[in-house]
Amino acid sequence: MDAPIFYSKTEFIETDTGNKVSRRATISGPQNIILGGKTIISSGAIIRGDLRRTGAGHAVVISLGRYCVVGEGCVMRPPYKTYRGNFNYYPMKVGDHVHIGANSVVEAATIGNHVEIGKNCVIGKFTIIKDCARVADNTIVPPNTVIPALALFVGSPGRFVEDLPESTQEIVETQTKRYYTRFQPLDR
Amino acid sequence: MPPTVDYHCPCLSRTTVPPPPHLPSSSHSFHALHTLFFCEECDAVRCNRCVSVEVSGYYCPNCLFEVPSASVRAEKNRCARNCFMCPNCRNTLSVVPSDPPDPGDGRLTIPISTIGEPPFFLYCNHCRWDSAEVGITFEKPTGLAAQLQKFEDSAPDSLEFERLKEHFEPVIRASSLSSSTSTAPAAHPSSAAHSHRRTNSITAAASAALARDIPGVSKYNPLARSGRGGSSKDKTANRDEMPEYRSRLDISSASSLGTGGGDADVDSMRHLENVSEVANLEQRWVNSWATSLQTADLKPLRIPLHSKRSKRCPACAHILIKPEQKAQSVRYKIKLVAANYLPAITAALPHQQEAANPDAVKRTLGKSTTVAADDDRATAGMHAGKTYPFHLALTNPLYDPIQVRLTVQRVHAPAPASGRASPEKARRPPFAVSLPSASFPIAAFAEAWEYEDDEDDDMFGLDDDDEFGIAGRVAGREKDTRGKIKTVGVLEKKANVTVVGGEVVIGKEARGNVKFNMLVSYTYRSDDPTPSESNDAEGTVSKAAASKPPETKTFAFYTVVDLGPIIPREEPRVESDF
Repeated sequence: MDAPIFYSKTEFIETDTGNKVSRRATISGPQNIILGGKTIISSGAIIRGDLRRTGAGHAVVISLGRYCVVGEGCVMRPPYKTYRGNFNYYPMKVGDHVHIGANSVVEAATIGNHVEIGKNCVIGKFTIIKDCARVADNTIVPPNTVIPALALFVGSPGRFVEDLPESTQEIVETQTKRYYTRFQPLDR
Repeated sequence: MPPTVDYHCPCLSRTTVPPPPHLPSSSHSFHALHTLFFCEECDAVRCNRCVSVEVSGYYCPNCLFEVPSASVRAEKNRCARNCFMCPNCRNTLSVVPSDPPDPGDGRLTIPISTIGEPPFFLYCNHCRWDSAEVGITFEKPTGLAAQLQKFEDSAPDSLEFERLKEHFEPVIRASSLSSSTSTAPAAHPSSAAHSHRRTNSITAAASAALARDIPGVSKYNPLARSGRGGSSKDKTANRDEMPEYRSRLDISSASSLGTGGGDADVDSMRHLENVSEVANLEQRWVNSWATSLQTADLKPLRIPLHSKRSKRCPACAHILIKPEQKAQSVRYKIKLVAANYLPAITAALPHQQEAANPDAVKRTLGKSTTVAADDDRATAGMHAGKTYPFHLALTNPLYDPIQVRLTVQRVHAPAPASGRASPEKARRPPFAVSLPSASFPIAAFAEAWEYEDDEDDDMFGLDDDDEFGIAGRVAGREKDTRGKIKTVGVLEKKANVTVVGGEVVIGKEARGNVKFNMLVSYTYRSDDPTPSESNDAEGTVSKAAASKPPETKTFAFYTVVDLGPIIPREEPRVESDF
């Protein structure tokens, strides 16, 4: 029943842990990025691991969990602010089973597990998205917003619309796992 | 749009038979499987429309503070900490300090204080509204609600509300007393009595007042019904005792207090230069009072609290959903959802998937997506006067194998009783659906690692019974069946998923959607499934199905299958012209 989603085998690099990263994606500062495994970075995505905290030593800038998808043309950029007169970037943490739709810009501080973000969204700086929340397509989430668990946010500015069903966690989990198995290479 | 399958909850009608699918109102009786609950006591499907809901906890959606229910009422159901909503765009406001004093040499100063310079004000990151515009500033950036409290308490609307509460306090107390005495022995099983026992005193007072003042209402009021004799005496007493209420202000003088209306509004409208000076309805109607029309008078709003809810079966009051105490936890102490009891059904049209097969992708991978989309639309639709196969994949969530039988509900069977059906009868049935009539098995659900070895075993330990006829022995994969004539029957069995094929014959004059009701009845073993038994169960399915041991139990439910719109006859010709 599940038709596979084919990608060109030459385009993607598959890691030992099953991450699939497009060669057409822009990954800056890869040493500061953690992918949890079985995560897909689509073509045209931009992940700014180079925007790290000032100071010596190794710093994790962006960490993604398992079974995540960063859609085509997405921009993932750590949030920044000037605190006590010092400009700084702050790390971004994304949980497991998170899908981010195409052409969305994400500057969130934390995104929980089982979160769905639609297409063409803007997730403002330091946004906190809790588990199992959903952001509909074309939503603008202003900076510093908190999206509670199991909430659906829609509009510009993104507002709470309704509570999601109790079984959201299971639905999203099966969906993300199925998406990963459907995402198959195609030799040409 | 892909085909959908929704499940019926019979709560809206007396019968278990769902309304015909072509009626627009039928959509209210059908729900997606994951939104439904299942009551084990009643052995029935429950939906969000029929469950009784109770609040198990309150929290602020912004600061995520869990508010104890004792203080919820005192804080008027809103967050009493630092959370405010923009009156202009409903975004969350943030506290910002004023600009630091300019040292005069053009360089940025390094702020000495960690929190910034007073005065502080609230600022909207989205629409740039700030509270300094309406003259609200703060000495320190913490405890804003407390700082605003005195303004809120002295507002005329909250004073009036306090006065009203004071006035009705004795009445509410009296009626809640009477209602609690009258419903206390409500041991009778009606759902209304159960839900009403948990209503608060205000609801009780309101319904008591309604029952008293409007003749005939009491007939439908379970409160009055359960305790008519005892409480009616109290009610008449209440009416006599209730003193007349006098408001603090006369409404004719209210506009002078900035509540809007009257000459003040006319005057401001006359000097209006910009439409945005007038606050729109959405910005104003959350207020309990009539307020000023001007945007300049909008005040920051405290954020309303959200609640976590537990859900009960309306018939037996059994708990179906009980969330964990922690506000942001997504786990549940009790969660009886229908997806764990009923087989999940997904529908698919093979001719729509054609585009997704490897050859097609190879062809279109290089092409632009718009071309592919055009192709897709032309091939994916169902044309009138043709026959299409469709697939239904049923997934068994139970740890026991089940036997499933599918029956299409005859929509256009003559219904002489209703007069409304006559125009429907005049129209020919637009399509005919055929499904396998014999029952078929679905293997038990097992954890993923148990499947690893069986991945390539076509039938997963199930013998092909003769009862499925030829359809049962189709060489496994749907790719092979596509070319064949035989489309109705069991097409594929893999783990706990069985795919059955059906066929829809669309009439020449058909319009609308291919949408039909389908009765799904499944038989499972009703004895307590002990884990040791479920392991060897897969081998004995066919035997169990054949001999039908007495401990099996059958559950039936209705679904509506929507395969998508029919393209009327004229359209294909138009499309081919392009």
